[in-house]
Amino acid sequence: MEQTMKLTLKVWRQKDKNAKGAFESYQADNIDAAMSFLEMLDVVNEKLTKEGIEPIAFDHDCREGICGMCGAVVNGRPHGPRKETTLCQLHMRHFQNNDTITIEPWRAKAFPVIRDLAVDRSAFDRILAKGGYISVKTGCAPDASVMLVSRENSELAMDAAACIGCGACVAGCPNASAMLFVGGKISHLGLLPQGRIEAKKRAVNMVKKMDDEGFGACSNEYECQAVCPKKLSVSNIARMNRDYILGSAD
Amino acid sequence: MELLQQYFQSSIGKKQIVALTGLMLIGFILGHLAGNLLIFKGPEALNAYAHKLASMRPAMYGVELALAGTFLLHICLTVYLFFYNNEARPIAYGYYQPTDRSISTRLMPYTGTLLAAFVIWHLLDFTFSDQTGTLSLVGKESLGLYGVVVNAFKIQWHSGLYILAMCAIGFHLTHGFQSFMQSLGLNHPKYTPVIKIISVFLGLAVAAIFSSIPLYVMFFARIP
Repeated sequence: MEQTMKLTLKVWRQKDKNAKGAFESYQADNIDAAMSFLEMLDVVNEKLTKEGIEPIAFDHDCREGICGMCGAVVNGRPHGPRKETTLCQLHMRHFQNNDTITIEPWRAKAFPVIRDLAVDRSAFDRILAKGGYISVKTGCAPDASVMLVSRENSELAMDAAACIGCGACVAGCPNASAMLFVGGKISHLGLLPQGRIEAKKRAVNMVKKMDDEGFGACSNEYECQAVCPKKLSVSNIARMNRDYILGSAD
Repeated sequence: MELLQQYFQSSIGKKQIVALTGLMLIGFILGHLAGNLLIFKGPEALNAYAHKLASMRPAMYGVELALAGTFLLHICLTVYLFFYNNEARPIAYGYYQPTDRSISTRLMPYTGTLLAAFVIWHLLDFTFSDQTGTLSLVGKESLGLYGVVVNAFKIQWHSGLYILAMCAIGFHLTHGFQSFMQSLGLNHPKYTPVIKIISVFLGLAVAAIFSSIPLYVMFFARIP
C-alpha cells in the first residue's frame, strides 16, 4: 500500500441554513494513509485557507469515537464504509490512491444544515427533554444487592446506553427516522428498575416530540442498525413500539 | 380519549395499524389460497365452494365490507406514510448507498402498488365475471367459475400477469410478516431469526402455490 495518496473530494458546500448548497470538487494531495478522515479534512482545509477559500465546516470534538459530534455521509454511507466506526476513527488506509470521495451532511428535515457538513441536531436534545431522564431521586449509588437487576437487562440497558447521539441512524434511514435513537434512550432507561416506573409515559411523550420534530416513520428497513457506529440493535425499536402501545392504552 | 387520538396521529400508531391490517390480509390470502386449491379437485368441487360462499350472501356482505375496509385502511395508511417519509428528507443525497436492505424491503411500495392494481383486475376478471356466459364454456358445456378460470389461464399473457402479481405478493409477504412482528414490538433474540425464516418461507410458499394454478391449467390440466 502506498504511504501517501492523492484524492478527489466532492464536498457539499452550503453557506447557511437557507442558502442553496452544491457539490464542489477539491484535490487532496499528500494524504498519509495513517491519517484519520478528519485529519485529512484538516489538511485540505489548511490548503483551502492558504488559497483564500473558506474552509469546509464540519463538526468534531473528541476524535476518539465516543462523543458523537462528528459525522458525514461518505460515499453514500453515514460515517463512511467501515462498520461500527465513527468518521473520526475511519482511517485513510481504507481508501485507494486516486479515489473520488463524496462527502455530504446528514440529510433530514429535522437536521437543518448549519454550514457545509455541520448540521443542527438539537432536535435530539428536545426529544430527550421530553422524557430521556428519570424524575425519581435515586440518591447515591445503592448497595449492590438492594435493588436486583437481572444480568440480561443490565447488559441490554448498557448496550442501548452506548448510543452517542451522532444521528447516523437518521442519516442512514431511507425515511430519515429517529426511531433507533429514541428506541435506544427508551430502552436504556426502561430496562432498569429506576427508569421502568415512567417507561410508558416516557415512550408516549418522546415519540410525540420525535414526530413533531419532523423525523420520518419506521418502515423496518434496518439501515439504522447497519450504520450505527455503536451497533445499537433494532430490538430497541421493538421495545419502544411495545412501550408505546402500553402507554397509549393507559 | 386524547391518548387514543394521539396514538392514531403518531407515526408508530399508524405503522401498527398497517401491521395489524396486513396480518388480517395475510389471513384472508391463506383462506383464499385454500379455497383456490379446490381447482385441483375438478369443476364440481370449485363450483360447489363458490356456490356455498354465494349462498351465505347476506352475511357475506358484512365479511366483504370488512375485508374491503381492511384493504383500504392498509393502502391509505401506507400511501400516507410513503409521502410522510419522503417529506422527512426534502433534499435527497447525491450519493446514497444502502447497506443491509433486502430486495423485498426495497420493493415494498412497488409490490404494494402492483398488488392494489392486481386486486381490481382480479375482481373484474373472476369475481364479477359472468360465470354462466361464453367465458365459462369449455367445449359446449358451461363449467361455471371453473370454466372462467380455466379459459383465462389458457391465455399465456393472462397467466403471465397473474404469476407476476403472485411474485409481488411473495415479496410483499417476505418483508411484511417479519415487519408486522417488529412493529408490534414482538422481538426476541431467540425467536426473531426464526420469524424472519418463516417470513421468507411464507412469501415463497404463497407465491409458489398460487402460481401453481395457472401453471397447472396451462401445462397439465386435461380439460373435460
